[in-house]
Amino acid sequence: MAEPILQLKGVKSGYAGRLVLQGADFVAGKGELTAVIGPNGHGKSTLLKTISGIVRVSEGEISLKGKRLDTLRPDQVVAEGVIHVPQGDLLFPGMTIYENLMMGAYLTREAGSVAERLERVFTLLPKLKDRRNQVAGTLSGGERRMCGIGRGLMAGGELLMLDEPSLGLAPIVIDQIYEVIFDLRHAGLSILLVEENAERIMDQADSIHLLDNGRFAWTGKGAELMARPEIVEAYLGA
Amino acid sequence: MDVVIQIIASGLTLGAMYAVATVGLSLVYGSLNMLNMAHGALLTLGGYMCYAAITHLGFHPVLGLAAAALVCALAGLAIYVFATLPLLRAENFETNIFIATIGIGAVIESLMLKSFGPYPIPQPLAVSGSVVIGNVHIPLQNIMILLTALVAMTAVALLLQKTRAGRAIRATSMSRDAAQLMGVRVGQIYAQVLALSGGLAAISGVMISSIATLTPVMGGDPMLKAFIICIVAGLGNVYGAVLAAIVLGLLEAATQYVLGVRWSFATLLLLVILVLIWRPYGLFGRQQVVRL
Repeated sequence: MAEPILQLKGVKSGYAGRLVLQGADFVAGKGELTAVIGPNGHGKSTLLKTISGIVRVSEGEISLKGKRLDTLRPDQVVAEGVIHVPQGDLLFPGMTIYENLMMGAYLTREAGSVAERLERVFTLLPKLKDRRNQVAGTLSGGERRMCGIGRGLMAGGELLMLDEPSLGLAPIVIDQIYEVIFDLRHAGLSILLVEENAERIMDQADSIHLLDNGRFAWTGKGAELMARPEIVEAYLGA
Repeated sequence: MDVVIQIIASGLTLGAMYAVATVGLSLVYGSLNMLNMAHGALLTLGGYMCYAAITHLGFHPVLGLAAAALVCALAGLAIYVFATLPLLRAENFETNIFIATIGIGAVIESLMLKSFGPYPIPQPLAVSGSVVIGNVHIPLQNIMILLTALVAMTAVALLLQKTRAGRAIRATSMSRDAAQLMGVRVGQIYAQVLALSGGLAAISGVMISSIATLTPVMGGDPMLKAFIICIVAGLGNVYGAVLAAIVLGLLEAATQYVLGVRWSFATLLLLVILVLIWRPYGLFGRQQVVRL
């Protein structure tokens, strides 16, 4: 495995009175595509929200390349280079695509790097360029997903966290989205992907982690997961 | 024809004053979900501060207005630090801050009563003279109010649309979580919005007291109307609020002429009820639904 970029040690977190992550241990490698799978309601989204600081850590440690993240505010976590593309996109509905993308680069002050990233995002997701002046609230599901990913890329982070990028999209659109994600991974970006739909990523992910009831129950490679049909059946109902 | 000009002139003046008062309220609600019940008291504070700066400290009127705006901006900041920030950490923020700001408003009004007395005081920031259109004399004061409001609204619009800080304010009001994930420090945005809202309240308070008079309770009526305008426009919709303020100002002037002054507030309330039956989220309000 590559050198670790993100490390969680015994992380517990949750919402008022309800613990969701119950001691999660986890490592994601630099430049790798790390996938977290698991059934609904077992803490996948909470895992990402905890890393990005939206949900507070009540116990345990999160570190990025050795630097503690769990004591930081969400904006400081972003400044460290951890970018969270949330479930359901959470675009700014009253802003245009262009404005949404510019919000992604909120912490980047140099106009030069912003322009460069914008160019890269437009090359990767040309549809966003065509519709740059369209208000985000009027986009289709696939376009919104692309805008969400593009907005995440505008931050120029080191670790991109994607929460169920296939959620609610038509199969052909899912293929397009995953093509983009795999391209980014081959370009060397570290990606942490949360996905309920394990089959899509099995052969591409460098490591797969199964989250069950707030703990990691199994870790391995896609091929190993396919060799364990009982896991697939028990947890993912496939 | 003269009557129409008269109604439009006074309606626009009213609308302009309401707009400045409403925008602050709307910005605060939009980004924090906070109904600032101390807004009326900030208006009053602004009016008195301008008076005090000009009369007691000998400031130039324009500087007096600026000083009033600064004091109220600081008061808004103080509300953030001492009320909003601690309450945000607890549950039921919306109810708690509502009650807390009623208390803050009462304190500010009592301070004004204690310092300046209960009797009406004329606002020294006034211009005399009038322009004549047709047979109608329009006081220069009204025109000055209109211009001041126009400048204030343009400045706010430019801030929100063209600057990085403004974009962050809009982003926070559309989705707080998403704004945080972009690296926006929302605490800072809240502080900025409350300070901005305080400054706007001061400007509005000075304008209102310049055609009425200064009294410790002068903020109550415009705040109530600002709330009504906010609700008609859709809570948190800043541009809708400006438009609604102007329309309601014109309507108020028209009702005052046609039916008499005592009917104007009742008509306003009736209109609100009708609008809310027709569109429960306000004219420009939208229930934010996330399609998956």
